[in-house]
Amino acid sequence: MARWTLGTWLGTGLALTTLAAGARGARAQDSPDRSRLVILIGGEAFAPVPTLNEGAQSATANTDLADQMFLHLADLGPSLLTAGDRGFEPRLARSWTRRDSVTLVFDLDPRATWQDGVPVTAQDVVFTFARARNPALAPKLSNLLRRITSVTAEGEHRVVFRYTRPYSEQLYDAVFHAPPLPAHLLAKIPAESLATSAFVQAPVGNGPYRWVRRVPGEFIELEANPSFFLGAPAIRHVIFRLAGDPQASLNLLLGGEADALETVPAPRSNIDRVSAQGSLRLVPYLSSTVGFLLFNQRDPEDRARPHPILSDRDVRRAIGLALDRTRMVRSTFGNLAEVPYGPASPMLWIRHGAPAPARQNLAEARRLLRARGWMDHDGDGTLDKDGKPLALTMVLPSSSAFRVQLAQIAQAQLLQVGIRLELTVVEYQLWNERRTQGRFDIDFSSTRQDPSPTGLTQGWSCAGSAGTNPARYCNPRVDSLIEAATFATTNVQQAWVAVLRQIEDDAAAVFIYAPTSLAVVPRRFTNVRIRPESLWLGVREWTLAGATSRPAGH
Amino acid sequence: MPRWLLRRTLQAALTLAIALILLFLLVHVLPGDPLAREGDRALTPQQFEALRARYGLDRPLASQLVVFLVGIARGDLGVSIQYGRPVTELLIERLPATLLLGGAVLLLNFTLGVWLGVRQAVRKDSLEDRWITTLSLAGYATPSFWLGLVLAGFIGVRWHLLPSGGMRDPLGTGGFAATTLDVLRHLILPAITLSAVTIAVTIRYQRTAMLEVLHLPYIVTARAKGLPEGRVVWVHGWRNALFPVLTLLGLWLPILVSGSVFVESVFAWPGLGSLAIAAVGARDYPVLMGAGVLAAGMVVLGTLLSDVAYAVLDPRVQTS
Repeated sequence: MARWTLGTWLGTGLALTTLAAGARGARAQDSPDRSRLVILIGGEAFAPVPTLNEGAQSATANTDLADQMFLHLADLGPSLLTAGDRGFEPRLARSWTRRDSVTLVFDLDPRATWQDGVPVTAQDVVFTFARARNPALAPKLSNLLRRITSVTAEGEHRVVFRYTRPYSEQLYDAVFHAPPLPAHLLAKIPAESLATSAFVQAPVGNGPYRWVRRVPGEFIELEANPSFFLGAPAIRHVIFRLAGDPQASLNLLLGGEADALETVPAPRSNIDRVSAQGSLRLVPYLSSTVGFLLFNQRDPEDRARPHPILSDRDVRRAIGLALDRTRMVRSTFGNLAEVPYGPASPMLWIRHGAPAPARQNLAEARRLLRARGWMDHDGDGTLDKDGKPLALTMVLPSSSAFRVQLAQIAQAQLLQVGIRLELTVVEYQLWNERRTQGRFDIDFSSTRQDPSPTGLTQGWSCAGSAGTNPARYCNPRVDSLIEAATFATTNVQQAWVAVLRQIEDDAAAVFIYAPTSLAVVPRRFTNVRIRPESLWLGVREWTLAGATSRPAGH
Repeated sequence: MPRWLLRRTLQAALTLAIALILLFLLVHVLPGDPLAREGDRALTPQQFEALRARYGLDRPLASQLVVFLVGIARGDLGVSIQYGRPVTELLIERLPATLLLGGAVLLLNFTLGVWLGVRQAVRKDSLEDRWITTLSLAGYATPSFWLGLVLAGFIGVRWHLLPSGGMRDPLGTGGFAATTLDVLRHLILPAITLSAVTIAVTIRYQRTAMLEVLHLPYIVTARAKGLPEGRVVWVHGWRNALFPVLTLLGLWLPILVSGSVFVESVFAWPGLGSLAIAAVGARDYPVLMGAGVLAAGMVVLGTLLSDVAYAVLDPRVQTS
C-alpha cells in the first residue's frame, strides 16, 4: 500500500513538472524577441493621461505610462535645471523664444502627429492648458500653473504663454506639468467626464509608444509608434507589469519574468542578489528623496502652545550636533546616500552650491544643552530641567526599513548626550495621521521632491498646510527668502541656497539622508539613461546591445 | 422544506445586513485618511475640502452609512478614491482571478483532502496514516505568507521550475490552449500555498468522521454481506461521514472571493485580495467596503448552502 501511495505522489510530481517544463513560456529575460521590455510597477495605472493625474489618483504608474505616450513641449536636460530657458531639450516644441520678461513663444515641430494621424497643433496646447488651469477639474495642477495668465495660439504651430510677472521657472511651468492632449478627440467629451471616458481606456498620444491593451491587475502593453516623428524606438514593446509587493517584484525580476525595476527593495543584501544575476545590471540615478528628523514647533498636547522642549532652537541644534549622520548613513545605505544640507534631495539642482553639512560635535551639543539648563541632576543618565527629563518621542512608519534602522542608531547616539528618545513605529496611514495632527515630538519624515525648488514652499513656509508642514515651522525670514528666490532672475542658485541656509540655521530639522537610487535594467540594452524626474522617460532612446545604429531621428 | 428555507434565507439576509453595518463602522474607524497622501501637497485647504466633498467624506458617518446601504440596494458600490473608477467594475475585473485561485483551493481540498482523510481512516495507525498526519499538521502550522515566499524563492527564483508570480506571461503569444496551460503553471504555487493550511483541516475532519462511521454496525453488516471494500468505504461509509466536511465547505466558500490577501500579494496574483490590500494601505473606503460586501455575502451564502445540503442529506435537520 505504501508503495502505491509513493507511486501516486511521484506520478503527481512528474505530471506537475512536465506541465511546468512543457509549458515554459517566453520569460522576459530570455525572450526570443530581445526588443521587448517588461518593467515592474508598484501600482495600477487607471488614468495614464495628463491632467487626470490628480489627488488620490496621482499614482507614479500613471505618470510612467503617460510619459511614454504623451510628449512634453520640452524635457529637462541632464543638469535637471528648472530655472532659465536654456537647460531644456526640445521635444514637441522645436524651439522657443522670449518676447519679453513675461511672454514665452513656442514653435511646435510641424512633423508631430497624434497616433491617429492628425497633426499636433497649437490648439492642442491651448486646449490642454485651459483644462489644466481649471481649478474645478485639476486643482493641484491649476495651483502649480497659477502664474500663467494666458495660453494662446498664433497660427497652426505657434503657442504664446503669458505670465503674471517675471520669474526664472516660466519655461519649466510651461513644459513640465501638462503635456498636450489631442483636442480633436477630447473637445466633445465633457471635461468632468474625461476620467471615465473611452479615451482613458485606450489613450491616443503623440509620443514614442502607443497603447495596445490593459489586462486588469496584471499589465499594460505599449508598442513602438512607427510614425513617431523623432524616430521609432528600438524597443518595440514595453510592458508595465504590476506587482504591488516589493518582494514579489524582486522575485519576478530574479526569476527572469521581468526586466526592469525602479529601485532594489530593502534590505541592502538584495543589491548583491541582483548583481549576481548575469542578465541584469544596476544603474544609479539621482533620487528625489530626502529624509529628515522633523522637530515639532508646537506642543503635541495643545497646538496653540509652543513645544515645551523643541521650541528652543539650541536644543534642536544640540540634537543635530549629537548625531553622527555620516556614520548613520554609511551603516544603513553604504555608499548609496549622503548627508544633505537642508531639504535638498540629490535631484534638486540647488544643492550644488550648498555648504557641507555640520559634523557631529558632542562637546558643543553638551555645551548648548548645559547652557539651556539641561543637566543630569538625578544621575539617571538622562538630562533634566525643572524636574522634567529630556525625553522625546519619535514617530515613523513601519513600512520604511531604512528609517527604522536609522532611528535606532539615532536613539543610541542621542543617549550619549543624555537625551532619551522613544521610538513609535506604526503603520503608514497611522503615522501619516499622527504627523498631520501634530501628535509627535520628532517625526522621521521622508519626502519626494519635484525637480523645482519652489516645492520647498509646501514644507518650510508659514503657508504650508497641516499635511505638508505638520511641525508648523514658520519663519517669516524663510518665507521672504523663498519669495525672493522664486522671483529672482539672476543669481537664482545663491538665492535658493540662502533658503537652505536659513532652514539649517533654524535647526527646523536634522537632515539625515539623500539617497542615490539603483534601477535594475537588462544588460541587453545600451544607451540606458534613467531620468530622476520620470524614470522610464528615456526608454525610447535605449538600444539593443550589438545593434549597429540607434533609432532614427536621434 | 419551503418554509424552513424561507426562514433560513431571511435569517441569512439579516445576518448579512448586520455584518455590513459592522464592517462599515470598522472600516471607517480605522485611523488614516484616504486623501491625506503625500502627493496632495500642492492643494490649498479649500481645494482639499472640495475633494473631500466629492467623495462624501465631509458628511457625518451616519449619513455616509445611509448612502452606502442605499447604494448596495441599487447595486452601486461607489467610486474608488484611489483609482477614480466604479468599485463594481474593479471587483468584476479582479473576480475571475480570485475565483480561479479559490476554486483551485476548494477543489484540492474536496478531492485530495477528502481522499487522503478517508485513506487515513481506513489505514489507521499505519505508517502512511502517521506520515500524512505529520505532513498535514506541518502544513497547518506553516504561515501562508512564509510558505509562499519559500516556494516562490526556491521553485520560482532559484530553480526556475514555475513562475514566481503573476497569473500569465505578458509575453505569451499562444492561442487558447497555450494561454490556459500558462495560467495553470502560474496557478500551481499560490494554490499549493493557500491549500497547505486548509487541506490539513479537511483531512483531519474527514479522518475523524470516517473513523466514527467505520465502527458502526451497518458497516460491519455490509462487510459481512461480502460487499467489496471500496463500496463499503465510499458508498456506505463516506456518505455518512460527509457532514463535518460539508460544514467546512460552507465556511471556506468565502475563499472563493476573498482568497488570501497575503498569498495574492506574495505571488502578485491579480485578484480581489491584492486589490483589497492596496485599498487598506490607501484607505480606499469604497473598495474596502466592496470587497467586504463580497466576502460577507459569500460567508452568509456558504453557511446557507451548507445548511441546505445538510437538510437534503438528512431531512431530520428541517424538522429540528
